[in-house]
Amino acid sequence: MASGTVLETSFPDPHTTAPMISLQRVTKVYRNGVTALEDVDLEIQKGEFVFVVGPSGSGKSTLIRLLLKEEEATKGKVYVAGKNLARITSWKVPHLRRNIGTVFQDYKLLADKTVFENVAFALEVIGKSKHVIDQRVPEILEYVGLGDKLNHYPDELSGGEQQRVSIARACVNRPLVLLADEPTGNLDPNTSVDIMRLLDKVNKIGTTVVMATHDQAIVDAMRKRVVELDDGRVVRDQSRGVYS
Amino acid sequence: MSRLDAYFRETAAGLRRNGVVAFAAISTAFIALFLFGLALLIARQFDLVIDAWTENAQVAIYLEDPVKAETVGRLMDKLQSLPAVADVTFQDKDAACARFHEVFRNQPELTENVDCATTIPASLRVQLVDPARYQEIAAALGCAPNADSEIVCTEPGIAKVNDNRRLLDLLTAITRVLSIGVLSVALIMLVSAVFLIANTLRMGMFARRKEIGIMRLVGATNWRIRVPFLIEGLVESLLGAAAAIFTLFLLKVVFIDRLRGQTFLPLIGNDDVLVIAPWVLVAGVGVALIAGTIGIRRFLDV
Repeated sequence: MASGTVLETSFPDPHTTAPMISLQRVTKVYRNGVTALEDVDLEIQKGEFVFVVGPSGSGKSTLIRLLLKEEEATKGKVYVAGKNLARITSWKVPHLRRNIGTVFQDYKLLADKTVFENVAFALEVIGKSKHVIDQRVPEILEYVGLGDKLNHYPDELSGGEQQRVSIARACVNRPLVLLADEPTGNLDPNTSVDIMRLLDKVNKIGTTVVMATHDQAIVDAMRKRVVELDDGRVVRDQSRGVYS
Repeated sequence: MSRLDAYFRETAAGLRRNGVVAFAAISTAFIALFLFGLALLIARQFDLVIDAWTENAQVAIYLEDPVKAETVGRLMDKLQSLPAVADVTFQDKDAACARFHEVFRNQPELTENVDCATTIPASLRVQLVDPARYQEIAAALGCAPNADSEIVCTEPGIAKVNDNRRLLDLLTAITRVLSIGVLSVALIMLVSAVFLIANTLRMGMFARRKEIGIMRLVGATNWRIRVPFLIEGLVESLLGAAAAIFTLFLLKVVFIDRLRGQTFLPLIGNDDVLVIAPWVLVAGVGVALIAGTIGIRRFLDV
């Protein structure tokens, strides 16, 4: 395994005491009138590992979309890394997203690119040089345990391996925050445990991890902070919690 | 460098993926730009003919050889004092000769065999305030058609007068109708080309929506996402433009070059195709830019 410095963020938060993520009385009402989040207060400190749990439609995905500024809060304020997202102009949004890694249930890998190319793509499109790509991509793939599969295509990998590629891609630019939306949703229990070990490892070196899930076994096993949403409201916020 | 490289790889991949649709867009751009260039060439060919036949003067007064300075001065004064005359210019034999060489520059067989010093006389070229007031000049100089329908004058020093008004009007009208006709068809085709290229870009974006989604997530800027598509539109349009210029050149070889040596009409040559080529390219770039703006508008949001 590579050393822990691989994932050290290149953008240290200047406000070390300020929370990494802060939602203040956030309400989100979609244009069709559906209220996805209602009056949500939430603070997540730098380096925390937080599960966001709740049934489908409880607002987990909306929360993640708000943090990426894919959606705007209808009411209230959202801060990420000390920045008020409402104040970030649309052409600065890409720079916000460079500080946030994202992992999804469906991996979102490009089938016509190899493992290396999929991860390299994330650096390439933000203008990193070939030199940086050739250095960081093998390093991060080694870190997630795929050092020997650089030239495989996604359909030659197991689900767990594909999710590792997607985690490598999310982390290769050394983000401050890793947002994972049901990352184990398509995986069997054993593979899920491996993925959770990896996310825990990413968290241990300082990355703030927010994971939306309804995988009860995993939440119960990890004993991390649990924020439970129900019908758009925070109904529980418990450190070292269990699913319900 | 690696960024440029990536742009071009994405563009090439896009064109390949979009083969048939891209071909339709390129063909339409080709037809549109070809017609546009054709209109320009027609206008240039007719300008040459007008120039050769009328020298762009409504009335040309040819002077008797040898030309005396006194004659020129007297006639100029007389013409300029007439209210019907807007402008008079004197063209001596050297200027007439130079003009002949310029108009027939693409037919050396003509310019080499004609000694313009003896065949082309010096002349006064007259623009009228209103073409209908020609009779005022004719009266002042005592000009009238003779038995051979040539206009001769009683005023001394004048060899003959060419009344080019009708010819000039006719040629100008033909030029206008032809080039406006072809230009309007070209315009319709250019609009089609814009929408076809915009459509290929949109289809390309749809085909690559997963890639675009990932690019957004990892923080690629809007321009980084759009530029490959803009380049793709530009490449399609410029391929059409290149084909159009090549076809215009072929057309010149097949239709115009065949007339060389068989006619006393001045003919357009390679230089004319070269002069219009940049305009065809500029039109091609314009098509691509408008198509790009329309095609990627839906993807402007982050």
